[in-house]
Amino acid sequence: MAELVLDGVTKHFDDDGDRIVAVDDASIDIEDGEFLVLVGPSGCGKSTTLRMVAGLETVSGGELRLDGTDISDRAPADRDVAMVFQSYALYPHMTVRENMAFGLEESTDMADDVIDERVSETAEMMGIEELLERKPRELSGGQQQRVALGRAIVRDPEVFLMDEPLSNLDAKLRSTMRTELQRLQENLGVTTVYVTHDQTEAMTMGDRIAILNDGRLQQVATPLEAYHAPANEFVAGFLGEPSMNFFDASVEDGSLITDQFTYPLSEDTLDDLGGADDVRLGVRPEDIELVEKPVGDHDYAVTVDVVEPLGDENNVYLEFDLDTEGEGAGRTFTAAVDGTHPVAAGDELGARIPESAIHIFDVDSGVALHNRERDPDEQVIPQ
Amino acid sequence: MNTSDLDGRRVGLYAVLFGLVAFYLLPLEIGLVTSLKTDPLASLPFAPPAAGSFTLEEWGRAFTALKSGLVNSLLLAVPATILSAGLGSMAAYGLTTLQWRGQVGVFTLFIAGIFIPYQAVLLPVSRFWATYAPLEEWLAVLWLLPGLEAYHGELLSLIITHVAYGIPICTLLFRTYYKELSGEMVEAAKLDGATAYTIYRRVILPLSVPMFAVTLIYQFTQIWNDLLFALVIMGPGDGAPVTVGLTNIGSSLTNLGFGVKMAGAFIAALPTMVVYVLFGEQFAEGVAS
Repeated sequence: MAELVLDGVTKHFDDDGDRIVAVDDASIDIEDGEFLVLVGPSGCGKSTTLRMVAGLETVSGGELRLDGTDISDRAPADRDVAMVFQSYALYPHMTVRENMAFGLEESTDMADDVIDERVSETAEMMGIEELLERKPRELSGGQQQRVALGRAIVRDPEVFLMDEPLSNLDAKLRSTMRTELQRLQENLGVTTVYVTHDQTEAMTMGDRIAILNDGRLQQVATPLEAYHAPANEFVAGFLGEPSMNFFDASVEDGSLITDQFTYPLSEDTLDDLGGADDVRLGVRPEDIELVEKPVGDHDYAVTVDVVEPLGDENNVYLEFDLDTEGEGAGRTFTAAVDGTHPVAAGDELGARIPESAIHIFDVDSGVALHNRERDPDEQVIPQ
Repeated sequence: MNTSDLDGRRVGLYAVLFGLVAFYLLPLEIGLVTSLKTDPLASLPFAPPAAGSFTLEEWGRAFTALKSGLVNSLLLAVPATILSAGLGSMAAYGLTTLQWRGQVGVFTLFIAGIFIPYQAVLLPVSRFWATYAPLEEWLAVLWLLPGLEAYHGELLSLIITHVAYGIPICTLLFRTYYKELSGEMVEAAKLDGATAYTIYRRVILPLSVPMFAVTLIYQFTQIWNDLLFALVIMGPGDGAPVTVGLTNIGSSLTNLGFGVKMAGAFIAALPTMVVYVLFGEQFAEGVAS
């Protein structure tokens, strides 16, 4: 059991004299037993970060500490970490038993019968004891995945590193394994760093999530905090499906003026803006309410463009009814409404954007100036 | 209409296939029947031996003449093949799976080695073994041991020459194969605590079996059939391999010696065929990958 600290960890590659920064000054304190998810779009540096922790990439700057000891320069074998790879990376010529025993044989001086016993115990826990004598090619994708997990668990390491371990599974199996992996990690209590590009995995699995973009750490927070109080526009747009609606706006006379509409702000919200002139308004699709007719200050006349029924909810693409053919004409935005809500393309309705649900970001830096109001015991179930 | 059309194509296909079979097998058939006739010139080349003219005598004579050459060839080809394949595999592992500075330059040297023609090195190689590294003299004390003869020193020179010449192509073949192996698997082994050596021994080597079949067949055939190096480095002495023996066979006899030459050719070619049969399945797997 161990606490893992990334202290200003940096990685750059030299490409013909050009320095390419893959990870820039990332600092995360991962507590003992914590499940941390590293999430971000492809090429954001999340895998590189994980590979640095594993020792498969050298660290260009900063320090990696495991329980206070600097491990930045240690060989992968001396770090007491186990990794689960996206491709599972099983040894194809070995049986499941040999695959699981390999790490113990190479990294410890345990007797063969002790190793054998530990492999059997772990296999039983993973429900793969009847596969022990088979070769990887005789296993299904889900079974290989379990073996790869078992191979990591049997080593009893200080830290688990997982690099998109579920991305090769079909959707149904993926959600089963998601739950199972969480349960396992909780029972074992081993510090885990999990890399994914899938925000559902990030939201549902992690104790905390660390969002990366362009090699920079954007925010480290609990899933709900990152979802409801994003540190910046990138985090707000990255989490949530369908993603948040953004509108460029300028602040005039206590209101937000966009190309399509004028949005009056309360004193409290205005205070948060701190005198900023150009901002970006953000609102999540599920926070937009559809009403029959626009009546209030925050209601706008819209026409339904397209409806995507998902069963439990409908994604509704709305278009503002504008008096003039201005710049903002034809701009659509998304609302997510209950699946039973009767709505069809061509309907003319009112869209209500409650002030309690809006986010406001600085246009240049993207930093969140104002985040939505939060119910202290809220629950979010993404998708 | 449709079926007859199909039949027509089938007949054509089989005609072509039988034609190809005849094309490839006829020379072998002629060689075989010639080696079994008392007087090969008395009947048509491809006709089987007539009732009274069947003989195994030529095979017996050829075998007696080539016996020591066969032994020498085995002493030469088996270790040279295994060494060049084994060293090629190790070199390819070091140049492909491991990462270090300057490996591209070293690999380029290996590739250049493939394209050096035999003829260009004949003189330097024979001078090298004769003047600079006379193994026969250096290891003189060894030849006193029972079972070892002075000409084994020459065989050793030939083995080393063939190994050196075989390593580049083996390295290239193994490298192509190792590039396809999963990098994540090697990384997993590293995290599992395996050293560069144990990764090779326990992960890479067991996965190389199909490519070993390819290189073993290829190298064995190359070395077994080589005449040029054998002639230049050792000449027709006690240590001469079977290819050198084959050039001499029949020439000293009064008749033209067609029968004994054919029988000798079959005897000399037999081991390469055995190797193909033994490793054929893995060979196909290795080529397909």
